Amino acid sequence: MKNVKVCCIIDDDPIFIYGTKRIIKEVDFAKKVIVYNNGQEAVDGLKEIIKEQGLLPDVIFLDLNMPIMNGWEFLDEYKNCRHDKSKKTIIYIISSSVDPRDLERVKNYKQVDDYILKPITPGDLAKILRETKV
Amino acid sequence: MKTLSIDFLLKETPSAIALVDTKLNFINYSTQWQINFTSSKINLIGEQLFNIISERPILFDKAIQSGLDGKENSNDGQKFILPSGKVQWLKWKISPWKNDENTLSGLMIFLEDITVDKKEIELLHKMESVSRVGGWEVDLQKNTLYWTQTTKDIHEVDEDFIPDLSQGLNFYKEGIHREKITRLVGSAIEEGKPFDTELIIQTAKGNEIWVRAKGEIETMNDNVIRIIGTFQDIDQRKKLELAHKEISQRLKIATQTTQIGIWEYDLKKNNLVWDDEMYKIFGINKNEISGIFEAWESTLHPDDKERALIATNDAINGVKDFDEEFRIKLQDGSIRHIKGLSKTIENLNGEAVKMTGANWDITELRSTELRLERSRDSFTETFDNATIGMALVALNGAWIKANNSLCKSLGYTEKEILKLTFQELTHPNDLYTDLELLNEVVEGKRESYQLEKRFFHKKGQLVHVILTVTVVRAINGGISHFIAQAVDITARIETEKKLNSLLEVTKSQNESLMNFAHIVSHNLRSHSTNMTMLSKFLTVEEDENERKNINGMITNAAESLAETIAHLNDVVQVKTGTLENLKRISVLNTLRQIQKSIEGLLDEQNAILKIDVPKSHFVSAVPAYLESIFLNILTNALKYSAKDRTPVIEIKSKVKKENILITFSDNGQGIDLKRHGDKIFGMYKTFHQHKDAKGIGLFITKNQIEAMSGNIRIESIVNQGTTIFIELKQS
Repeated sequence: MKNVKVCCIIDDDPIFIYGTKRIIKEVDFAKKVIVYNNGQEAVDGLKEIIKEQGLLPDVIFLDLNMPIMNGWEFLDEYKNCRHDKSKKTIIYIISSSVDPRDLERVKNYKQVDDYILKPITPGDLAKILRETKV
Repeated sequence: MKTLSIDFLLKETPSAIALVDTKLNFINYSTQWQINFTSSKINLIGEQLFNIISERPILFDKAIQSGLDGKENSNDGQKFILPSGKVQWLKWKISPWKNDENTLSGLMIFLEDITVDKKEIELLHKMESVSRVGGWEVDLQKNTLYWTQTTKDIHEVDEDFIPDLSQGLNFYKEGIHREKITRLVGSAIEEGKPFDTELIIQTAKGNEIWVRAKGEIETMNDNVIRIIGTFQDIDQRKKLELAHKEISQRLKIATQTTQIGIWEYDLKKNNLVWDDEMYKIFGINKNEISGIFEAWESTLHPDDKERALIATNDAINGVKDFDEEFRIKLQDGSIRHIKGLSKTIENLNGEAVKMTGANWDITELRSTELRLERSRDSFTETFDNATIGMALVALNGAWIKANNSLCKSLGYTEKEILKLTFQELTHPNDLYTDLELLNEVVEGKRESYQLEKRFFHKKGQLVHVILTVTVVRAINGGISHFIAQAVDITARIETEKKLNSLLEVTKSQNESLMNFAHIVSHNLRSHSTNMTMLSKFLTVEEDENERKNINGMITNAAESLAETIAHLNDVVQVKTGTLENLKRISVLNTLRQIQKSIEGLLDEQNAILKIDVPKSHFVSAVPAYLESIFLNILTNALKYSAKDRTPVIEIKSKVKKENILITFSDNGQGIDLKRHGDKIFGMYKTFHQHKDAKGIGLFITKNQIEAMSGNIRIESIVNQGTTIFIELKQS
């Protein structure tokens, strides 16, 4: 099973970050994991990578409820700052929200591949790997 | 002797006789002649005849001449004017006399005074012409028709016109008039029947006049030999009569159609006569009664009987004409209202001889009047006491009358309102629609209209009404005035507004509750999933240090869960907190209290707190809420102060309508409202990187304020500061 090069977690909950990182390690999902604590941090960090022509993440795990800049706002911002269309970043929304309005809203964001309800499991990651391989 | 005696005889004869020779010189004459034609007793013998009778008819001269020609001549009478100036009608006979040789020797002139006869005829003629009664005579033996002068005058023919019988008949107007006279004359001739008829003739000049022709018969040996009659011009009388007849007829029709009964009472003969209408009105059968008056009296309504009889008595005695309204009871038991009038008719001597009067049924009028009165009364009553505003408005919009309710609604007295117009009191934005509809009424497109509009109260505030305008038409069909009915719905509108704002609050609260529920579920879930995940790690983790780390995280997760539940509890308390706990609280005192409790924080940041709140400002609030609100806003201001400057917080308050507006202005970091405006009061929304940011404070603050029927609003500029506006009910 081939893993992804860079995975990015955007979440303000340290416990979730800890858990997710642990599972990534467990299933050898990614070689490298980048963590941002809110949307603003992520936008700033990813812009920096683009500027330095570094390796952009293949997969982003994005939380919705975050201070300063939430997941939705991040999606709007990130869409604008990506110029290089050659490499597709797969974005998964990982949230505790079961609010149907959130699920509905996801449909409006084309760049979002799927919505995963917390907690993330090893099975979820395996499934992602299978799908991204194609 | 013979001559002498003849002379004597001639002299003494009482007639005027004269003997003249062929040269018309007097040979002899009677004394009477001398008396008649001379003033003195001069001897006439040898005098010329024409010298003596100077004024004479031409016919006389002609007669003398024919006498000289040897012919005898006589005349039935001509007018002579004697030397004395006296007019004398003389009948003459002139005979030529011859001598023994049978040659003409002279003339014997015989004049007879017929003045008296003639005068009678003249008088008769005058009488005829004055009375316009002429005479005529048909002589059936000679088959001639004779007309007197007046008869000729009536026919407008010349004096010397001599009619024949058929001509006479042809003067009658063609048609029934001529046919009738022909028939009458025919039967007079053949059957000896006299006649007396009134017909129209057409005179020679073409005028049509009414005449009365009367014919009497003279018979001889059973044969009609003559019809003698009179012929009278009755045109004027006949026309008057016809006119009278026509008027009578018209009156009859009028009284019948209008059902006016007429009666006449002969005061001398004590005789009362009713026309048919009277019987109808009083419901009396003509044939069933013995006396009209008694019958009339019996119909009178007991309550009106005395009055009617007194009035009747007064009328008969000439005290006062009858002019009464009274009720009668018909045989079928129905009551009718009758109006009666009378007039006394006097003869030429001013003596009351007759009374005449009229009666008619005014039941309809009476009941209409009653209904009108009742409807007017009830309208006035309704108008005055109606709980809705009512007014009569003139065509130009001026108020004619306004009831209490309307005056009360608009805040004016009726006196004040009547000086104003509809237009002046109407809100300008509603005037057009109102006038538009009014115009449609004026143009007859509709009879009434209804609209919701606004008037101005005397004090300036708006009065909302539902206005109904109905047109009142004048008898000629034009518009008399309008009736305006205004239901004051200001209270309803106000309630509606309140209800709407309440609905708005409820809606937003509902929404926030929904959000709240989702947030709660989200947070609880995230804590629980974290714990599940961590505990799973714990079961497989063997490294002791890592296990410690995981245990620490589980503790944190558990604490977070507890905190979330505590927040939940706070929020639920606000949501269930009711308005019943509202108290009158001093804004200033509460602020001072909070100021004291955050003294440490203020000092730590060297913050400046400026409070400019009057002592008189009291709000209606739950004390704990107000404290919590103030505390939350002030701590936020300190928490998010700008690092590079001394925090300055200004608090002001002022009265805004029924509320107290309290403003908190700081010079802190500010917040990008374009980005976060919709979430600022949301639960668990944080916008700054601050260790204590929980995203719960403003959420609870908003909920507390709304629970007290207040509102909160925010203005902010990033890096300049934030102003929070709080409105609470003044107390």
